[in-house]
Amino acid sequence: MSETVLHQHKWIDVVKYRWVWFGLSLLLILPGFFAMGYLVLNSPQHMPVKVGIDFTGGTITQYSVKKDVANSEVASLRNNLTKAGIENPVIQVLKSNNTISKAENVEPSTVISVKTAFKSNDVTAEQKISDVVKADYPEAELVQVSSIGPSLGKELFINSMYALALAFLGIVVYLSFRFQVDYAVIALISLAHDALFVLGFFAILGIFFDVHIDALFITAVLTVIGFSNHDTIVVFDRIRENSRFLAKKASFPEIVNASVNQTLARSINTSLTTLITLLALYLFGGETTKDFVLAMIVGIAIGTYSSIFFASTLLDWWRERKDSQKGSASRQSEALKV
Amino acid sequence: MKNKKLLMFWMIIALAIAAIVVIVKMPTKLGLDLVGGSRIVLEAQTTDTIAKITPDMMSSLQFAIENRVNALGVAETVVQQTGEKRLLVEIPNISDPAKAKEFLGETAELEFKKPLDNQYGATGWLPTGLTGKDVRKALISTNPGGQWVVALEFNDKGTKKFGELTQQLVGKPMAIFFNGELQSAPVIQEPILGGHAQISGGDSGFAYEEAKKMVDLLNAGALPVPAKIIEESLVGPTLGADSISKSKTAGVIGIGLVMIFMLLYYRLPGFIADIALIIYSLLVFAVFKIVPVTLTLAGIAGFILSIGMAVDANILIFERTKEELKAGRTLFTAINAGFDRAFTSIFDSNMTTIITCVILYFLGTSIVKGFALTLIIGVVISMFTAITVTKNFMHLLFGAGQLKHPGWFGIKQSEIGKAYEAKETKKEKAKFGILD
Repeated sequence: MSETVLHQHKWIDVVKYRWVWFGLSLLLILPGFFAMGYLVLNSPQHMPVKVGIDFTGGTITQYSVKKDVANSEVASLRNNLTKAGIENPVIQVLKSNNTISKAENVEPSTVISVKTAFKSNDVTAEQKISDVVKADYPEAELVQVSSIGPSLGKELFINSMYALALAFLGIVVYLSFRFQVDYAVIALISLAHDALFVLGFFAILGIFFDVHIDALFITAVLTVIGFSNHDTIVVFDRIRENSRFLAKKASFPEIVNASVNQTLARSINTSLTTLITLLALYLFGGETTKDFVLAMIVGIAIGTYSSIFFASTLLDWWRERKDSQKGSASRQSEALKV
Repeated sequence: MKNKKLLMFWMIIALAIAAIVVIVKMPTKLGLDLVGGSRIVLEAQTTDTIAKITPDMMSSLQFAIENRVNALGVAETVVQQTGEKRLLVEIPNISDPAKAKEFLGETAELEFKKPLDNQYGATGWLPTGLTGKDVRKALISTNPGGQWVVALEFNDKGTKKFGELTQQLVGKPMAIFFNGELQSAPVIQEPILGGHAQISGGDSGFAYEEAKKMVDLLNAGALPVPAKIIEESLVGPTLGADSISKSKTAGVIGIGLVMIFMLLYYRLPGFIADIALIIYSLLVFAVFKIVPVTLTLAGIAGFILSIGMAVDANILIFERTKEELKAGRTLFTAINAGFDRAFTSIFDSNMTTIITCVILYFLGTSIVKGFALTLIIGVVISMFTAITVTKNFMHLLFGAGQLKHPGWFGIKQSEIGKAYEAKETKKEKAKFGILD
């Protein structure tokens, strides 16, 4: 009977090609890794990703204009702002091409975003920016202001790091309790794999598209960790169950292969349904949460990959190494018999 | 057995109807990023004289700030203490955000000072102990010259102090400082005993707005400790409206596509999962309104994400049920085993999601908290709808016989009997209702 269990719907032999998966993981993570290194050395904050005002402190004021804004206009706006006494304003023009909302005529066609240093109780700075922008674009409408003090930014950053560390710890403790310790450690490594990929992806976006991460990004990473762990647990749970029934009839690699294949449809379908909802959010949802949703899309995609190909093969590799250390002598004698 | 299932079925229906009633009757609390408005965080500052911020100071600071926010005349404002020395102020639908900001951060300290005795030609002002605390009421008024002035009415203690002070200072100037800035320094002609005084804006006079602001601030009371704005976010009403309509679109499209996917891939069970998903959405929204959860953009994202997680439980169960059916089980045992075997996976994975959400809830900012809270509520309710509700519906619909129409489950007749089979323990057999 175990014959049918182990060889039915054998679409992929994950264990056999494990070096392919390890290599692919390396290939996926390395570019982001270099990007992070580049940013640590070259960005003003020396952080592996470009961090936004949530963590550095600062003020972003956004105005909507119902027309296109050319690059030359941005330069003149920057000059005017500097003349008005605003130090180092960073101006960004965000275009929005959302056809659905355009039809409803609520979507501003262009958003001018002005980033400045944080001014606490100083109202005049805000007034000055507004005056300058309105001088150039009389129909400009204030859409959004977000302003974070530098000390609060630092505090947010530290809290976020605590949250990340605690989440990792919580997951390991829970998994060690429910599974075995080596399952937990490997689940953790595959989570780090996913988190690194998402961070690297945003480091690259930071370099090429000047994307800055905010407090929501940390939330996205944490959610991805939870979700990817979700996937890994489903596979591990199957390995655990199969080990219980088949330990005497099949080798561990065979059990791993069977478990991955048995859960494959589920892993892919779940990620698909989640990605469907996330894509709907990305394409039709609010502007403010776009990067947040993108981080989750990237994270869930890599999380699905890692739980199918990376975590399970790593577990198998780990067990194999442990076994060979434990009983290399007995293994050899067995091999001779064969 | 059947009766028990029917009872459960009607309980689920009753729950769904109750949820609809709640959704219709109760208002939705929308966050400022959806309705538009200003959100300001103030932090009390220690000074030379105030070494530590005490809870008493914070409550009087909150009182003073509440007075000021009320003076803005906007409905549904929120002033609440967060942490040891911070106040969160929320002002929806604000028309003049700059004014609000100006209003909140001002200490509004009014001080009357007397001239330093200047034998050596030094000039300066000495505190007299008469401050804004001694003012009962401030009014806007005009002087005979037609300039705007701030008229003050002292309380009993203030009247007495002011009388004594003006007696001392006849022929000399008395300075009036507001927020540390000299407003005017009129020369006292005669003692003023009636408890009334006027602040004029010096030679140039006050602009109306200036005088009005001072009056409002004086009436609201000075801040017991200086407070600084450390965070501000403002969302214009158009962006808020835009966000709501976009979130609705995204939510409907997202749920719709997921439902279509489930129906196409899992057939009849998929249809049941879709109904469970609708019940899920109803229950989640009802809980949002009962708690109440303030819905923000991030919160809505959390809800939409939880839809993906809710169907995940069903996907796990259905995949497992399909395997059991392929192994030649009867419908009843296949469904039971499917649910039971998938349960540990669902439980463990949801627990880790809850762990991360709890951490986010306690360490995150308010926007992150909203996301974590909606996701936790979603995960917990999904455990109910994806397991209890789906299982009940499936048993009622399929009964206990052999699988006659494999197409209902999206599997082929030829696949049955060739599949995976696990060995059950006696206990499991009893649980799944397997008869050998």
